[in-house]
Amino acid sequence: MNRFPLVVGRVLPLLLLVFGLSGCGYNRLVALEQNVNKKWADVQSVYQRRADLIPNLVNTVAGAANFEKSTLTEVTNARASVGQVKLDPNKAPTDAAQLEEFQKAQGQLSTALSRLLVVSENYPQLKATEAFQNLQAQLEGTENRIAVERNNFNAAVQEYNTAIQSFPTNMYNKLFGFQPRPFFNAQPNADKAPEVKFDFNKPPPAPARTPGAP
Amino acid sequence: MASFFATKFLDFARNDRRRVSALLVAVGIFASAIALRAAETLPPKPAGYFNDYAGVVSKDQALRLNEKLAQFERETSNQVLVAVFRKMETDSSIEDFTQHIAQAWGVGKKERRNGTVLFVFIDDRKMYIQVGYGLEGVLPDATAFDITERHIKPYFKTNDYADGLATGIDLICQAIRGEYTGDGKTNAERSSRKSGGGQMVFLVIFVIIILIVMRSSRGRRGYGYSSLGGPFIGGWSGGSGGGWSSGSSGGGFSGFSGGGGSFGGGGAGSSW
Repeated sequence: MNRFPLVVGRVLPLLLLVFGLSGCGYNRLVALEQNVNKKWADVQSVYQRRADLIPNLVNTVAGAANFEKSTLTEVTNARASVGQVKLDPNKAPTDAAQLEEFQKAQGQLSTALSRLLVVSENYPQLKATEAFQNLQAQLEGTENRIAVERNNFNAAVQEYNTAIQSFPTNMYNKLFGFQPRPFFNAQPNADKAPEVKFDFNKPPPAPARTPGAP
Repeated sequence: MASFFATKFLDFARNDRRRVSALLVAVGIFASAIALRAAETLPPKPAGYFNDYAGVVSKDQALRLNEKLAQFERETSNQVLVAVFRKMETDSSIEDFTQHIAQAWGVGKKERRNGTVLFVFIDDRKMYIQVGYGLEGVLPDATAFDITERHIKPYFKTNDYADGLATGIDLICQAIRGEYTGDGKTNAERSSRKSGGGQMVFLVIFVIIILIVMRSSRGRRGYGYSSLGGPFIGGWSGGSGGGWSSGSSGGGFSGFSGGGGSFGGGGAGSSW
């Protein structure tokens, strides 16, 4: 009975201090989490932008005489598989495996697109058309945007993860449901140019191959 | 735990000086290697809108183009910059590097994000137009590419940088003109006016307070009046002089002050 006021007198102010300080900490965590979600939405929108460019690109290229069908099919298939990996566009993923799956699907599309652009080097008439050049510029622009938004997302995730894992928030972050989020990481073999194997058993398309062309 | 390791290290140090100095050198090299890799030196914020750091355009033309771009900001609030460098001081790609620079310079208004920068690297023979988020609708990548590839490049191929840059500026401005409206002032002019105005209001209030204090103190002590008057009047004239001089801009040259706009990687470029 005598100890009670002592406990209240010492422990209670300490608890209040911890939670009071973290009171502004809680709001800050909420703000950081919202920022992460916003940056994730930005990432989704630039990936979507790329996906929307694809049909236009495929149509322009398919119009060129005898363009290698396998390359086009690869791009179309990669785009379809990207559409199948559905992540919530408004909440950043909490599961690293999910993010990995998403990244892999997008990576396959990137590879298919690079391959398409490499193959199109062999079709100088296609390359000379304004429509194709503009599409190429748009695709490159989209890749740049993807790079920028991924970096912005990673920066936001870093800030958020650091905040929830610092003292004293690391003690109660699970209570409020703040989980650390995974980052985008560099894909293996991302820096290697795609290999293009030409099938020499097929007769070469007539207008494209000129002797001495690179 | 720390003291344990400390004593071990001291024993080690005492026994073999050479090993320790080698270790320290290794740590030093490692640390400086990290530092060098981490930093990418971005060029500092530019003084004007048209910045020819490579000296490929005459001074008159540079001044004229600078004023043209400043006027464009007054009319549309869009901030369009030109930055001509000799060489690209980085290992990263041009689109990466120029995006970092444009972002660091804060070109364009913060809320509208309506900045555009035409970067040219003379010795690398590359150029790139960085477009801020807010202008991506009117200056899409295809248009930016069209400007650099089909309009500026032909001039640059013949080393006619002046005409190439002038054409580029005209086309960029033409593309983005309708999107936003300006209020007749550049960001630099607005911020100096603002500080001048703010100072004036502050000074008026200050003077009123002084007068009230002087009135009330005159009744009680004669000393209070003169001791209050001296330093405050000195401060007042210094403050008002400062306020008025910041309002005027240097003769003929319109300076650039970034509005804090951000860049999302939009734009395109060419090499020649």
